[in-house]
Amino acid sequence: MDSSELYHIKQQFVLGAYKTLVNLTLPDPNAPTYTPTLLYQARAHIALDNPKSALELLPTDSENVAVKAAASLAKYVSASQGADKDAIDASLEELRDLAVEIEGDDSEGNEEEKALVRVLAGTAFARAGEIEEALETLGVDTEDLEAVFVIVHIYLSINRPDLAKKQFERSKRWAEDDLLLQLIESTIGLVTGKDGYSNTSSFYTEQLGNPSLTSPHILTARGVTRILKNEIQEAKSDLDESLAQQKGDTETTAALVVAAGLGALKKTEAEELWTRFVSEHPEHPLVVDVSNKESHFDECASKFEVPPLASA
Amino acid sequence: MSVMLTKFESKSNRVKGLAFHPTQPLLAAALHNGSVQLWNYRMGVLVDRFEEHEGPVRGVAIHPSRALLVTGGDDYKIKVWDIRPQNRRCLFTLHGHLDYVRTVQFHHEMPWIISCSDDQTIRIWNSTSRNCIAVLTGHSHYVMSAQFHPKEDLVVSASMDQTVRVWDISGLRKGSPNAGGGPGGHAGGGGGGSGAFETFDSFSTVKYVLEGHDRGVNYAMFHPTLPLIISAADDRVIKIWRMSETKAWEVDSCRGHFNNVSSALFHPKHELIVSCGEDKTVRVWDLAKRTAIQTFRREHDRFWILAAHPNLNLFAAGHDSGLIVFKLERERPAFSVHQDTLYYVRDKYVRSYDFNTGADIGLLSVRKFGSPYVPPRTLSFNPAERAVILTISSDNGLYELTNLPQQAQGDVKDSSVDGKKGSGQSAIFVARNRFAVLNKATQLIEVRDLSNSVVKTIKPPVQTNEIFYGGTACLILSSTTSVVLYDIQQQKTIAEINSPPVKYVIWSGDGALVALMSKHTITIANKTFSTHSLIHETIRIKSGAWDDAGVFIYSTLNHVKYCLSQGDHGVICTLDNPVYLTRVKGKTVHCLDRSARPRTITFDPTEYRFKLALLRNNYEEMLYIIRTSTLLGQSIIAYLQQKGFPEIALHFVQDTNTRFELAIECGNLEVAMETAKAIDRAECWDRLAQQALKQGNHKIVEKAYQQTKNFDKLSFLYLATGSTDKLSKMQKIADARGDPMSRFHNALYAGDVQGRISVLRDVGLHPLAYLTAKTNGLDELAEEILEAAGLTEADIDDVPTFPASSLKPPPIVTSTTTMNWPAISAGENFFDRALAEGNLEGGVEPAYVNGDAAVGAAHSALDAWAKDEEIHVEVDPEEGGWELDADGGDFEVNEGPAEEAVEEEELGAGATPGIRETELWVRNSPLAADHVAAGSFETAMQLLSRQFGVVNFALLKPTFVSIYRSSHTYLTPVASLPPLQLHIRRNPAESAPSRVLPVAARSLQSVRSELAEGYRFVSGNKLAEAQATFRSVLAALLLIVLTSDDEAKLWRETVTAAREYLLGVSIELERRRVAEAEPDNVRRNLELAAYFTQCELQPPHMQIALRSAIGVFAKANNQAHAARFAKRLLELKPDPKIVAQARQRIAAGDRNPRNAVEVSYDEFTPFEICGATYTPIYKGSPSVHCPYTDASFLPQFKGSLDPLTQLTEIGAPAAGLPASW
Repeated sequence: MDSSELYHIKQQFVLGAYKTLVNLTLPDPNAPTYTPTLLYQARAHIALDNPKSALELLPTDSENVAVKAAASLAKYVSASQGADKDAIDASLEELRDLAVEIEGDDSEGNEEEKALVRVLAGTAFARAGEIEEALETLGVDTEDLEAVFVIVHIYLSINRPDLAKKQFERSKRWAEDDLLLQLIESTIGLVTGKDGYSNTSSFYTEQLGNPSLTSPHILTARGVTRILKNEIQEAKSDLDESLAQQKGDTETTAALVVAAGLGALKKTEAEELWTRFVSEHPEHPLVVDVSNKESHFDECASKFEVPPLASA
Repeated sequence: MSVMLTKFESKSNRVKGLAFHPTQPLLAAALHNGSVQLWNYRMGVLVDRFEEHEGPVRGVAIHPSRALLVTGGDDYKIKVWDIRPQNRRCLFTLHGHLDYVRTVQFHHEMPWIISCSDDQTIRIWNSTSRNCIAVLTGHSHYVMSAQFHPKEDLVVSASMDQTVRVWDISGLRKGSPNAGGGPGGHAGGGGGGSGAFETFDSFSTVKYVLEGHDRGVNYAMFHPTLPLIISAADDRVIKIWRMSETKAWEVDSCRGHFNNVSSALFHPKHELIVSCGEDKTVRVWDLAKRTAIQTFRREHDRFWILAAHPNLNLFAAGHDSGLIVFKLERERPAFSVHQDTLYYVRDKYVRSYDFNTGADIGLLSVRKFGSPYVPPRTLSFNPAERAVILTISSDNGLYELTNLPQQAQGDVKDSSVDGKKGSGQSAIFVARNRFAVLNKATQLIEVRDLSNSVVKTIKPPVQTNEIFYGGTACLILSSTTSVVLYDIQQQKTIAEINSPPVKYVIWSGDGALVALMSKHTITIANKTFSTHSLIHETIRIKSGAWDDAGVFIYSTLNHVKYCLSQGDHGVICTLDNPVYLTRVKGKTVHCLDRSARPRTITFDPTEYRFKLALLRNNYEEMLYIIRTSTLLGQSIIAYLQQKGFPEIALHFVQDTNTRFELAIECGNLEVAMETAKAIDRAECWDRLAQQALKQGNHKIVEKAYQQTKNFDKLSFLYLATGSTDKLSKMQKIADARGDPMSRFHNALYAGDVQGRISVLRDVGLHPLAYLTAKTNGLDELAEEILEAAGLTEADIDDVPTFPASSLKPPPIVTSTTTMNWPAISAGENFFDRALAEGNLEGGVEPAYVNGDAAVGAAHSALDAWAKDEEIHVEVDPEEGGWELDADGGDFEVNEGPAEEAVEEEELGAGATPGIRETELWVRNSPLAADHVAAGSFETAMQLLSRQFGVVNFALLKPTFVSIYRSSHTYLTPVASLPPLQLHIRRNPAESAPSRVLPVAARSLQSVRSELAEGYRFVSGNKLAEAQATFRSVLAALLLIVLTSDDEAKLWRETVTAAREYLLGVSIELERRRVAEAEPDNVRRNLELAAYFTQCELQPPHMQIALRSAIGVFAKANNQAHAARFAKRLLELKPDPKIVAQARQRIAAGDRNPRNAVEVSYDEFTPFEICGATYTPIYKGSPSVHCPYTDASFLPQFKGSLDPLTQLTEIGAPAAGLPASW
């Protein structure tokens, strides 16, 4: 069983309180919790799209496979930010090697570390669009909840909520009532909309009441859930509050843009917010998708012949 | 009256003994030839025969609770048999009687068997110890029958000594004398001394001796509940005896048989006696009045024995040449179903039973209707009058028409009070105030009104036995060979179907189908009898009812079955006893049992629902059933295959061999290939190759040939497909195999002359090789061959010379090596998609209405009568004006096989992307707004173009983009992974894939507030902004999601208002431009000002328009017009200051009623304003309209872009907004 600090850290990581984790003071390097904490911190950095800090944090000479994997993931994320194709391939290769290495009988590292390697490698593969490879690395019969979460995410992203559900049902048998398991369930609920998102919504509400951590990410998540529940004004208040805690958070802003479009803000304000969002986060999937749609629109519209304007 | 209904008959030797099985439909018959038969009288089959007795068998009985049979015969033996089919055998034989054994019987609770014999004794045996435990002596002649009392420790016996004796055997129970083993030995011995008999007598004593018969008594039995005894004797009399604690006496006699009475029984339930005798009759008597009720006569056979079923209304009688099983009365209760109420007759009371609440109320007594022993035969219900017509078969057929009380009263009314009677065999309601009565003898059908007077007489076209309701103004006539649909009004036959005599007719809920039921067939016909299908049952059909989905559920003697309209049928469940189905609701069958008590049976409708769904191509329901039920087994697969749906069956089968077979059958080569690989047997590959060849998929053919190493065919295939390089490979393979024939073939196919020659040479066919070389101009080679063969030119002088061969392999015209024959793509099967996409989350049960929604329209016609007088109000759809036709049908086209399976191979199994939510949105909605939200801009534009004639989309771009943007949101639950795209739904409570729809980004309300903003611009004289706003409102309104008719109405109002304002503002803007640019053009200026006032504006804005017009006209000195405008202004009740001004203006106009400038403005003729030229189009002049806003334009603008909205093509055809709610 994890020590209580580590448990706490894990909880924060799971619930997206990355900022808190980043600011955490690392324990004594000889403490048994040192490496796991370090890894969570590094992963929090990566999650915050700040791979450089993660790389600084991680020792380059470590023999620990998990540390190596985290470093490779950081490199991958960093390379993909710079769109450096060679570096991307190199980091992916590293992760592949690691994934192969841990399969060997004589490999170093305990089971948890190996599992983490798989999660990190799977994450990178999924990011790179190598879905099959990711699933294979993670192993659809894994008994590691983090891996299950990644698998579920992948399934959801390819519109296979049924498979995601199967994974969840399978995990229920051995994972007891882990927080992560609940999160998995609520994430599936976000996509399927089962029972009017009630489970997801109550999960986030419950976690917001959790005294041991505060994460604006949860607020954002609840805001998004409320958007899905067509509770736009309530969603806006969640998102505003989240933004107040973490200024300019991309995800929250993106959600707010959507809420604004659905009547949370006046039309002009909504447009303004959107324009600002586009200029600040040109890489956000929402922006990319919408701009694709804009050109798609022009293409479709051009198929219609516009007759001359009737005039006297 | 022939109420005796024969259920079963068998031919055999004389039957002397009979016994019913208490629970199963079995009957044991003891025959004079020594055989004992066991019949299943329901199925009419001989189940078993027991043949160990020598000589006639007279006594037979079945154990009340165990599978035991006892028989006694003329061989003095009593035998006990196990009748279970798996170990049927004689268990033991009881020896002791010294003469013929007449009757045997099991005791109802003790392990005792009683027997009586011509040896003048009655013996009681213990069937466990197999010992005789009592011998009852006292009769001085043959003992003809001996029976236990059904409850008490009494025995009644009848003897040729003319007495009936009652014995008390309570001593037997107290201390079994057998315990001491004293009297034992009888089992084996031929008979102890007479001394032994005395021993027994202490335990069983004669209680009463009943004397009165003048001849030998053949049979005597106790009444099941009353202290009565009945006896039948050779004096042709049946006597009834009563007994008390201390004595017994004769009560009465039933006289009527004119020969020996063999047997007489108390009816187990009714106060009746049934008897039979050597006068060849079976007679029924009233126990209370001792009068004969009916007589059933047989031509040649004397009756010997009677048996009554302990629980059912069934009797059996044995005669000289067999036996009959019969009923005394019909059990089928008369009933009729109206909506959720069953009206039926029980115990001569008309009752109503509510299917929903189970309330069962007696409404009307019909005790005095017809014979008291006969229940009514049919009941016809008239909801309009709340009346019933009952018929009864007694008295040669009677009917009675009575009104039912409105509610159940404390005192149930008797029908004799105000019932209207008449004679007739069949009577039914045919309209709300008419009923038809059939008189079978005269073959006349009378149509009578409610006062029972004849209004019409019909001579039926066929010999009619029964009439039924045939739909509005029609009758169904049942004759012996056909059934006729007959129109009462026109008095003519509409249709006729050949059928055995139809006994019952049941209409489906919607009155579209009718089931015509006869004894062994059901004909399902439509209401005009133009199509019909026939079902044959070997077992008697009892009743039926329609499921609301159009499936006919019927009962036979032992099954409940279903039948689809095209004739497929199958078993739903088995029955112990027949029931009479009244109504089917969902999974529940309501029925009446044999004693007319309502009950229900719950069953699993999966199988027939599946078949029905299959017939109707309702794949969604099939899918639902597949997912939720476990029913699907081999039978369903066989069914699917047999019905020509192998491709559907393919989806259910796991077994590789079956899959292969199915795949071949339905030509699904991929699956066949896959499974063939798994099976990997030569014959599979052969069959695959054949099938693939048929379908022109030569690549698969090639693979299959390769697998089976079928080189010859492979080479030929390559030749046929023109695959030269592969042919040359085949040549190499042939070389390697060293098969000269194959080498030759391949060389021939490949056109390789050298190769051919070398093969020929190799095998020593030098002449052929030589000639081949020669004819192909290879002279040198020919020389060489000649040399090799050791010959010279001279040696082959006699060989004729052939011209050079021009044979060549056929040239390749079109290279088909890489192409398969084009085949029509089977497309993505519904099941492929559904099973692959795995949207299991919302497996919604498809609406399967049964019993809930379409409540018993069964009597839709009757209902129609009920509201005959109501005025039919046509609901005039408000939206008629703007064609809210649900043209959803058109949108199916858009679905198509949207996603090709390009990526599938990359992803591998288990990770095939599913269907995107946006695709579901597109699929589920005919609204452009929803397509926009789904990002399917192309289809959205097509929709807008089709619905509203929109052609200029550039203006809509911001709306499109913002709707799309607002319909999707993102969240990253997992660290470092790209966010999940989440789709915002309109109704969060709905998660079924077939119903999800995108969020409505803009509400009608928000657009209306934008409109209000436009109004403010008008008030504030910001006309350019106002114009832009109104345009934007009209653009936004195109992409609004409406949810109700009310909203649709409001939407249309909003569109119209925006259009009017847009027009008005545009006119005013034009006026200002004219005033600015052409100050001399006063006329145009005035006209435009006048037209502005013709737009439908709200009063404040109208005031502005009018005041502006007043000003302009006054300035131009058109006082008369100005005064007119002022008058209009006053009508709007402006504030006092303006009123004063207006009055001045009117006064000025009155003073000077003339106009300086002549303008084209006739306010007295209604006109519309052309939105392009801003000139009037007076009523009656031709005009074209904007397909969206309905704004008017002069005809020459047809086909141009609407200048107001700048969106639509003027005069384009438009379907209007589909009503999707």
